[in-house]
Amino acid sequence: MTPGKWLGVLFLMPATLFVVVFFLSPVLLTAVFAFTSMSTATGVGEGGYLITPSTLHRLAERGMDRSTAESLGATTYLVNPETLSRARAAGVAAATLDELGQRHAGKSFDGRRGFERALKSLNNRPRSVRALKQAARHFETSVLNRTFGQREDLLAALAASGVRLSDEDRERLVDASYTGWTWTTDNLRRMFGTADTAQVLANTLIYVFVTLILFNTGFALVLAITTFYLPTTEAAVFRGIWFLPRITPPVLYVLLWKWFAWDTGFLSTVLGWFGVASRNWMLDTAFNAWVFVVLINGFVGASMGMIIFSSAIRAIPEPLFWASEVDGASRWQQVRRIILPQLRWPILFVTSYQTLSLLTSFEYILLATDGGPGSTTEVWSLAAYHTALNNYAGNLQYGYGAALALVLVIIGVVLSLLYLRIFNFDALVARPRIET
Amino acid sequence: MRILIENFTKRFGADTVIDAMNLEVADGEMLALLGPSGCGKSTTLFAVCGLHVVDDGRILFGDEDVTGWSPQRRNVGVVFQSYALYPHMNVFDNVAFPLQVKREPGPAIRRRVSEITAMLEIEHLLERLPAHLSGGQQQRVALARALIRRPGVLLLDEPLANLDARLRLDMRSEIRRLQRETGITAILVTHDQVEAMSMCDRIAIMDRGHVHQIASPADMYRNPVSTFVAGFLGNPPIAFLSGRVRGGRFWLDGSTAGIDLPGGCEALEDGREIRLGVRPEHVRPADSGPLSGKVSFVETHGRENLYDVTLNGGQVLRSIQPVRGDIAPGQTVHCRLDTDKLLVFDREGTRL
Repeated sequence: MTPGKWLGVLFLMPATLFVVVFFLSPVLLTAVFAFTSMSTATGVGEGGYLITPSTLHRLAERGMDRSTAESLGATTYLVNPETLSRARAAGVAAATLDELGQRHAGKSFDGRRGFERALKSLNNRPRSVRALKQAARHFETSVLNRTFGQREDLLAALAASGVRLSDEDRERLVDASYTGWTWTTDNLRRMFGTADTAQVLANTLIYVFVTLILFNTGFALVLAITTFYLPTTEAAVFRGIWFLPRITPPVLYVLLWKWFAWDTGFLSTVLGWFGVASRNWMLDTAFNAWVFVVLINGFVGASMGMIIFSSAIRAIPEPLFWASEVDGASRWQQVRRIILPQLRWPILFVTSYQTLSLLTSFEYILLATDGGPGSTTEVWSLAAYHTALNNYAGNLQYGYGAALALVLVIIGVVLSLLYLRIFNFDALVARPRIET
Repeated sequence: MRILIENFTKRFGADTVIDAMNLEVADGEMLALLGPSGCGKSTTLFAVCGLHVVDDGRILFGDEDVTGWSPQRRNVGVVFQSYALYPHMNVFDNVAFPLQVKREPGPAIRRRVSEITAMLEIEHLLERLPAHLSGGQQQRVALARALIRRPGVLLLDEPLANLDARLRLDMRSEIRRLQRETGITAILVTHDQVEAMSMCDRIAIMDRGHVHQIASPADMYRNPVSTFVAGFLGNPPIAFLSGRVRGGRFWLDGSTAGIDLPGGCEALEDGREIRLGVRPEHVRPADSGPLSGKVSFVETHGRENLYDVTLNGGQVLRSIQPVRGDIAPGQTVHCRLDTDKLLVFDREGTRL
């Protein structure tokens, strides 16, 4: 390689580093997380083994014999050095324990009654019923509600408790009782299997395409063309006004909309003068919520198209307008026959660019309706956010959220490649003029 | 259709670029608006086609006052300097555009397009986009588009400026042929005196918003009203000598040479400062004479040679001669002038 090429590589280093750190690695991690069952419950570290009543319920569902499952939950009484020393430490009379150790060492009793009977039959038995019951408690053993760090601990405890399991059942138990995350493709299966996904997908399509057609492209075109025919100063003021939503901090901007729509806000107050009952216009019905979602995003999105279309119109050589005027074309014919055909590429560019940015942006919806009412305005990216990072139930499902996000990433990459193809990106990137 | 411009005034902000201009173009006439860039000739053209608002005065087509009319209503055909072809439409659509926006029926449009494109010999290019046409072809398409509505007036804004020298020659005669064939009233805006002289019936020469002279090309060449007109017409350009009148003769500044004045100048009083316009073709070499100088520059034009002669006293005379090898730079020569062809101007440049 020539020194010049090394210099090029050097120049690219910062950008490459940023891409790797802030884009590629998050995408990669998302892809990894998408195939795990990570959630608040599992944590992101290594888990332990815990059998709870609900574990037993789950085991029975997964095909374990119901009575076997129940036996796992039963309490047994064990006499071994461990339980003896535990009782001794708790202050049970030494003579009682010594005798118990001699006569029943290594034995297990299935129920409390049996063990209490054994205690009663000792020569050095506890003197009162109360002492006897208290002493018995120290020999209770159960695998239920105990956390085992390792699989072996669980199995040992299981063996000690006297429950006999087939190999298959044992594996089932180990699986079901594991509290950490595991590798899984359940996320994808769940995503494609539930009706919620279809709803969220439909919401996303409505959100993206209605906003895009009405505002980001449509209204932007209207603004660009009308301001083109206005005198310069008025046009600048007009464009400036429509640019405001873009430069207003999103939180403030949405707050203004909320004030506008609240049950004690502007809209309700004004309509109240005409006898219309006040209500929260934004969240009143699903339709209203959609109107506001589209308006809020559209007013922000229109400005970019407006700027691009305006400059594209101004790039049309002026003689073309002169020629069309003397050729007899009306304003509308000028727009339709001269301006719009020349805006073909800008329109395509804005449409494709805004499709991507609308697909991934959810901050305005989050701030305005938070997907409500119900989940009628829950779009894909917002659903991913809710699932993985912030939801009402509190169990954050990182794995499932990552799987949702991964779908967005894949759609984004595929669309980007498609757009680059449409825009003939290779032709735009000319060969360098300077020979190296 | 006759075009009458009456007291036309145009202002851009505080600048008055054209002040009370008057001009009449007769029906079927082709008139050139000639002048240096910034003289207001294009502004006038734009006012005639309606793209510029007239600040004062009137514009009449025939007997109709069109001053307040929009360009759409005026039925003028315009060829712009850049041709202004619609880049996204093929030749057919470009030419048909003025009829299409009038919503004329399709068959009528097709018939008219094939008529006009046949006339301009571009009927084989109908499917092409403007980007795939040569400069001359684009020019013809622009002309076809301007003429398709059978406009009463054809306006040409520097139509040949973007063509190469050879094509310019062809299109000059082509445009003139079309104008004659259609009998359309035309205004040609140009800064090129050769174009104006070769193509038009009359020339209106403009400078800084004023029309200096309106005349036929030959008349204007022979009888310019001012040094500006005399200097603008003619290639190689006229030379001006400054000096004084004494005894009915012209005495060159800084020299003892006296030159006879043409007829009609006998009444000029002694001591008056005047300028003498001498065209290169009216300067001949002589064996002897009062007017002598050094050849300072020789330029070969092929058939003719152009000589710059620096006279005693420092003023420069230009002479054009059939090619000859006997005069070299640095040589001292004597000159004789065609007295009756000399143009006499006062110090301010007005013809006397």
